[in-house]
Parts: sequence; structure tokens; C-alpha cells
Amino acid sequence: MTNQSQQPAANSTQKSQPLLKISNLKTWFNAQQNNGDDIVKAVDGIDLQINRGETFCLVGESGSGKSISALSIMGLLPKDVTSHPDGEILFYPQDQQNSIDLLTVPEAQMRDIRGSQIAMIFQEPMNSLNPVFNIGEQIIEALLLHHPELSYAAARQKTIKALTDVQIPNPEQRIDNYPHQLSGGQRQRVMIAMAIACEPELLIADEPTTALDVTVQKEVLLLMQELQQRRNMGVLFITHDFGVVAEIGDKLAVMHQGKLVETGSVDSVLFNPQQPYTKKLIAALPHNLKQHKPPQPQLDINDSNHLIQLKNLRVWFPINKGFLKQTVGHIKAVDDVDLEIPRGQILAIVGESGCGKTTLGRSILRLIEPTAGQIIINGTDVSNLDRQEFRPYRKTLQIIFQDPMSSLNPRLNISTTLTEPMAVHNIGESQEHRLQLAVELLEQVQLNPDYLWRYPHQFSGGQRQRIGIARALALNPDFIICDEITSALDVSVQAEILQLLLELRKQRGLTLLFITHNIGVVEYISDETAVMYQGKIVEQGVTDQICGNPQHEYTQKLLSAVPRIAA
Amino acid sequence: MQLPTRVFPMTDPMSEKTHNSTDSTTPTPVIVSNTFVQRALHNTFKRWGARIGLLWIALLTIFAVFAPIIATSYPWLLSQKGIITSPLVQHLSAVDVTLLVAFVNTGVLWVLPGSAQQKMLIFVTVISISFAASYVLIKPPKLAIYEQYRFNQNTKNIDWVITAPIPYSPQDYLRDYGDTGLEKPLAANNRSHWFGTEENGADVLSRMIHASRIALAIGFIATGIAMSIGVVIGGLMGFFSGKTDMIGMRIVEVFEAIPTLFLLLTFVAFFGRSLYLMMVIIGITGWTGYARYIRAEFLRLRQQDFVQAAIALGLPLRSILFRHMLPNGIAPVLVAASFGVASAILAEATLSFLGLGLVGEPSWGQMLNQAVRSSSFNWWMAAFPGGAIFLTVFAYNLIGEALRDAIDPYLNKS
Repeated sequence: MTNQSQQPAANSTQKSQPLLKISNLKTWFNAQQNNGDDIVKAVDGIDLQINRGETFCLVGESGSGKSISALSIMGLLPKDVTSHPDGEILFYPQDQQNSIDLLTVPEAQMRDIRGSQIAMIFQEPMNSLNPVFNIGEQIIEALLLHHPELSYAAARQKTIKALTDVQIPNPEQRIDNYPHQLSGGQRQRVMIAMAIACEPELLIADEPTTALDVTVQKEVLLLMQELQQRRNMGVLFITHDFGVVAEIGDKLAVMHQGKLVETGSVDSVLFNPQQPYTKKLIAALPHNLKQHKPPQPQLDINDSNHLIQLKNLRVWFPINKGFLKQTVGHIKAVDDVDLEIPRGQILAIVGESGCGKTTLGRSILRLIEPTAGQIIINGTDVSNLDRQEFRPYRKTLQIIFQDPMSSLNPRLNISTTLTEPMAVHNIGESQEHRLQLAVELLEQVQLNPDYLWRYPHQFSGGQRQRIGIARALALNPDFIICDEITSALDVSVQAEILQLLLELRKQRGLTLLFITHNIGVVEYISDETAVMYQGKIVEQGVTDQICGNPQHEYTQKLLSAVPRIAA
Repeated sequence: MQLPTRVFPMTDPMSEKTHNSTDSTTPTPVIVSNTFVQRALHNTFKRWGARIGLLWIALLTIFAVFAPIIATSYPWLLSQKGIITSPLVQHLSAVDVTLLVAFVNTGVLWVLPGSAQQKMLIFVTVISISFAASYVLIKPPKLAIYEQYRFNQNTKNIDWVITAPIPYSPQDYLRDYGDTGLEKPLAANNRSHWFGTEENGADVLSRMIHASRIALAIGFIATGIAMSIGVVIGGLMGFFSGKTDMIGMRIVEVFEAIPTLFLLLTFVAFFGRSLYLMMVIIGITGWTGYARYIRAEFLRLRQQDFVQAAIALGLPLRSILFRHMLPNGIAPVLVAASFGVASAILAEATLSFLGLGLVGEPSWGQMLNQAVRSSSFNWWMAAFPGGAIFLTVFAYNLIGEALRDAIDPYLNKS
């Protein structure tokens, strides 16, 4: 191994040196189970070059082949179902004169390269660490594997240094912690520490911050940037978030259906895209959508006609401990929330994961029973009604969920999903009439009426989310809670769904409670915004005011952490 | 090392713009049959193990339904002085007739189109009518004289006769021949006993065919009782959780502590020998496993968004539990049930072997008992009933195994 990390970072002669050169890479999957030789061309001829000390961002929507490209570089794809009919991946290690073609290199040599010269960070910090070993053991094991000459004590010292590098507090003690004792952001730091402990020349990061909150994401991104500059690493950064790209990227490639659509410097691609696909993708960013927002009904902000009022709403979960399960304390998921939702408006609730925003939404629908407080709908307090008494209100309150995979019953076709609630609430005179209404609903969410007889597994994520919207509309509600409905969707689909919601709001006079962590979406869609932090609402007001001139300390921190595409 | 799960559907998210055209793409490879049950069955019976198992069970079902026709001492048709009669039809019992009607009915409904609910309704109606009618109308002679037709045949009183392929009833001890019993398979030339005879002189094959009824009935009914109780109790425990769950689990633990076999022995001692009692006892002590499975599934499903959506839509509890949750959580129970059928058959065989089974009618376990009790070891009396028990249990296990593989999402994903 070289002593590359001690070399000056801004070594200009090194910076332009190529580190990885991919030419015409093809990765095909043989899907034999569909009788016949179906070939899925996951990666279909990409060319790219990563230089030393450069952050190369690969952007694309889900299924575009970005992760497969990364796994091809690492040689981690299952050999029995994948093939590389063409192309080469040339890797230029520091200590060798010649380049190595990673596609043809023997597996034994590949194992040496993997981890020591090319390292990878995965998306899920929860799954990427082994829960039965403490973090020190996991990093030391990788270190000793690639540097058998190190003694255990030396490896431990090196590990502590790596943990210090990734800014884990008290690394001497933390090294003996197990993964569950760390927060999500800390786990991702440990993953980075594990990846950089062997001082790799190329770091592949596959959506490393997608599962993290924005404030944590900001810290991790800063950390990666700093480490990369200090060690003059090449970084292949895979993401779907253009904001992140703008923050850390040097070069940017946009991937679509296994091909690279456009490659160039970050600024040139982001602000001057040449290809129609790239243009469409960038125009679909909430930040850019705003310019094309359809005109919305003018609302009187001071209108006292509130559809929903929450007074001192509390959802506390008891913590039971000991033999007799005594309650020793409470987790205050929602703590004394007062909120007024004016009729016909879109109120956004923003906050990081675990702040209680989802619990708040569900407790309004009484999917989670509130511990105390009042929920006043149209002037009636419904928080103490029993199951039967509350049923008429279910008609007016609906919810759309985050995960399009689990929000539809996989065993029922769409017609049943839509007509069953209508029948229960006596909407429509006959089944034929209800089916007619269901067809109209599908048309309203811009889906083909033929889809009525299909099952959920036959739809894409975006289509499922539309069906979820149609189901929520089936009972003709006044109020819909949208719980992170776009966070599992690609940016172009997200744009369509958001536009659809605005359109429906206009047509039907809906009131929406829009729960999200995506500030861009909030700025686009909502009239009012409430910021939630640790179970409490810390700031509430008109969206433009909150986003433009935040008052509360936490709101300021949150907004400043949002990665933005600086104009 | 984990691989991304979204490898295969390579659809273009942008193509959603085209959703208004009728020929828009479907994202996942569309499987021919749509509903989950059809897909699961398709995947199950793709496996050769399940096919062999199913073949054996089907064969057994046919034997069970047609037992009084295949193996009977009464001739199918005979002509005596120019008058053609069918002693077989005269001697059919009400149960035999109902079973035959049910079998034909199932076959016809299988072929005819119609929704599952309609078919179920027709099936239940036809069965209950035919059951009531046959009990009222069919009065077979109380006294069974198996020898009369053979006697007539030998004395040339009959013009011609068509007999069953196995012309011996299970309780026909062939007194008229003066046989001593314990005849080896295919020993005598004039009268062929394929599987030999037992110590009383009755035909072993005939007894085995008639015993297949008990084996099938006890398996299905006992498991059916256990499953219904288990699904309801487990479903309520899983859905309501909290206190209901705690009480339910204690009941489950109490029932799990009851040793089924000893309870059966006690009940037989108190209330005498009854097949139905046996079924009920095996049923009400065996539901705990199903309850645990359903509870675990429901605890998981309750958190799923589509169940939350069903609650938010104000659907009644019945619909949420049985329409939205049960079909999504029934799979492990079905697998357990196919193993449960096998164990119920074994329980009955064990009881009969211990000499606590039914008195009048033959059962496989009781035949094994006969083999043990007789003075000398007669291999045919042990091997054939034992083999039948083994094959049946094996067949159910094969089906259960294939079903488990078929519904395993990890094997079935791509």
C-alpha cells in the first residue's frame, strides 16, 4: 500500500490522473424464469472516467442501472445470472504501472482490490453493519485482512484514528459499541470509517445519505468531502438527489435505462442541460416546478373557519419495565400540539424522522389513539367518540400513505379496493353505479379505466400512488392526510403526483395535511407550514415566510441543511 | 452482501405519461393467472413432489367415495330367471349415496363456469338436500347376508352376474367357503385375494379400501375444526393485541399443555368409541399452532398501510379481518394444515392400533393391530395398511412442503 494519504491533497499533477476508466460497459441479466432467454440490459454500454481527487456523481431514477454499474465495478453481481458481453473497466492503481481490467481480473486478485483499493458504502446503515459484532471488530477484521502485517493493537489504533476521522465522539470508547447503540448518522459514519480505514484510492458511495435526515446528511456530506480532499480519493457518488450533487459533485453523469444520457461538469449539466431527458428531469425538481405552478384559489388567511382544530393533543407511549411491566415513563411522540387547519388549504408539517409528524397525522384519524387532548372536526370534538360513533367521520377524513408497495391490498383488484368502502358508506345505488364512480375516480387520477380489473402487483410505484389517491377520494372526503406520499417516488413521478394533488384540490376544494421531510416539496405545494421537533410544533406560518425568514433556531438549522441547487 | 431488489423490472418511469393509451406497458411480468390462490396453486403443483402427493390423495379419494362399489360382495347386476336386479344399489347406505352425490356435484361444478361463491352455495344446498333425502328414503336391509348371491351363483340359479372387481365386502368373512383365514396374497387359484385375508377370513384389500374413508375424513374434519378455531382466536389476538392477546396466549398455553393422546384415551373410556368424538377432540386440542401462526401474521399485517387504510375508510371489522387481513396471512396456516392432516391420520391410527378405535368398521391402524395380535407374523397384514398410512402421511407432507416453497416470497420473487 502506498503512503498516499500523506501526500499533499492539491497535487495538481495527480488530480488529472485517471483512476478508473469505464468503456462501453454492458451488464446483462439473464432472466431465465420467464421461459425463454429474456435478457435485461441493466447497463447497456456506458463510458466514463473518474480522475484522482474527483467526485463523480451518477444520477438517475430507480431502475436506471446506477447501482448495477457500481456493483459491476466491484464485481459483486451474482455470476450465474449476469454477464458482461462487452466493455472494460480499467483501474489505475497507484503502485502499479499498468492498469487492471476489473472485469477479467481473477477473483483472488479482485478480493485484494476490493476493500483495500476500491471501497464501497451502501445505502442502508441499518443493514450494512453486522449487529452481533461491535463496530471495532468489524473494522479491524477488514483491516487485518488487507494488512496482515499489522498487529492487532496497531489495527485497533488505526481503527480509532479512522473513527476520529469520521468525527465519532469518544472513539476510544465508541469502538466497543454495537451497531444498535449508535444513531443512524453515526452508523453511516462507521460505514465510511470502515471504507476508508484501508485508505482506498476509489470510494464508491451508493446513495449513502438517502436514509438520513437532512441535518445529518449535511454533516455526512461535509465529512466525505473533507476526507476526499485530504486523501485525494476518487469518489463515485450515486444518488437521485440533484441537491446533493450540486453540493459535492465535480462531474455529473445522468443515467437512463442503462445508458448515460449526458455527462459533464456539474454546473454545465445542471444549469445548461443539452439532452431532452436531462431537461425534463431537472424541470421536474420541486425547486423548478414552482415557476409552472397552476394558479391556486385565493384564500383568506385570516378566515376563522377551521375544518380541523387540535387542542393540546398528546400521544404518549408508555415505557414499561420490570417484572410487573410498571410504567416508568413515556415517549412523548406528540406532546401538547395545538394546530388549526383552515378549510381549503394545504398545511405542510415538516420535521426529521422521529419528530412525531406521522403519529400526529394518524392520531387525527384515530388510527393511533390520542392519550389526551381534543380533535375538533367542524366544531365537534371527536376524540372521545367510540368506534361506531366515529364511523361517519371516517368518510370526511382520509389518508394516503408513503409506501406504494404496502398501501394496497395485494389480494384484491382495484375495483374491489375502490367500491368496497363506497358500499359500506352507502355511496352509489348499485354495484354497477359504484363501478361507474370508480371509473370516474380512475379518470380523475389520470389512469386508464381498464386498470379496474388489475391487481396491485401489476402497477408501477407511481401508478399505485395514484390508486391510493383514488381510494382516498372514493368517499368524497373534505380532508386528506398525505403522509410522505412522494418520498418513495422518482422525481419526475413526484412532480406528476404533486401537480395532480393541486389539480384535485382546486376541483374538489380539498383540505390537505401534507406530511413530509422534503423542504422542496413543501415550498412548492403548501400554503402554510408547521415545523415539528421532538413532538412539538416549534413554528407555524405562511410557507413563504417560514422558508424565507425562519424565526425558530431549529427551523433555521433545518433549512440551512437542505442541499440546494444554487442559481 | 446484499443486492438491489429492483433489478428486473426495467420500466421507464417516464413512460407513465402514456397511461391514457390502452396499450401502456405493465411493469412486472404478468403471470397468466391473477389471483394469489391461483398463483400459489400453480407454483405448488409445478413441483413433482406435490404432483405425486396429489395423485395419491386423489386416488385415495376415489377409493373412499367408490368403496362400496369397488369392493363389495353384492353383485353389480344379476339376472335371475330373466329379471335383472342390482343387489349393490339395494344395499347402498345413506352415507354412500351422499358421498357419491357430493363427488359428482364437485365434478360438475368444477367444469361449469360461475363465481366461487355461487358454486359454494349450490354445493352446500345439493349436499344438504341429498343427505336429508337419502336418510329418509334409503333403507338398506338391516341384515347383511353376503353369501346368498354366491350360493345362488354356485347352484346355477342365476342366468348371469356382474360382480365388483374385488367381490368381497370388508365384513364378509367368507363363512360359506369354510376358509380358515390368514391366506397369503394370491395363494388360492379360484378366489384371488390380492392382499390376502386376515384371521377371520375377510379380504385385506377390501378392508383397506373401506378404511380409506376414515383416514380421509378424520384428517380433513379434525384439521378443519382446528383451523377454524385457530384462525378466529389467533386473528382476534393479533388484531386487538394488548389484553386480548395476553388472555388468548394464556388459553393457547393451557391447551398446549393438554396431551392429546391421553385425553383421547380418557374420553374413549368415558364415552365409548366414536369417530366423531375423535375428530372433535383432535380438533379442539390441535388449534394452538394455527392460532400462533395467524396471530403472528396479523400482528405484522396490522401495521401495513393497506390495513390502516381499511380502518381509515371505516370498513367494518368483519371485512378488515377476513377480507383484507386473512387472505394475506393464511399462507403459513395452509402449510401447517397439510401437515396437520397427516398428524390427525396418525393419531387415529395410533388409537386404533391401541385397540381403542372403532369396533365395527375397519381402519388402517386397527388392521395393524390385528397383524400384531395374530399368533404368527403375517407380513401382508402389516405391510399393506402400514404402507397406506405411510404413503398418505408422506403425500400430505409432500404437498405441505411444496406449498411452503410456493408461497415463500424469497423463492418466488423474480
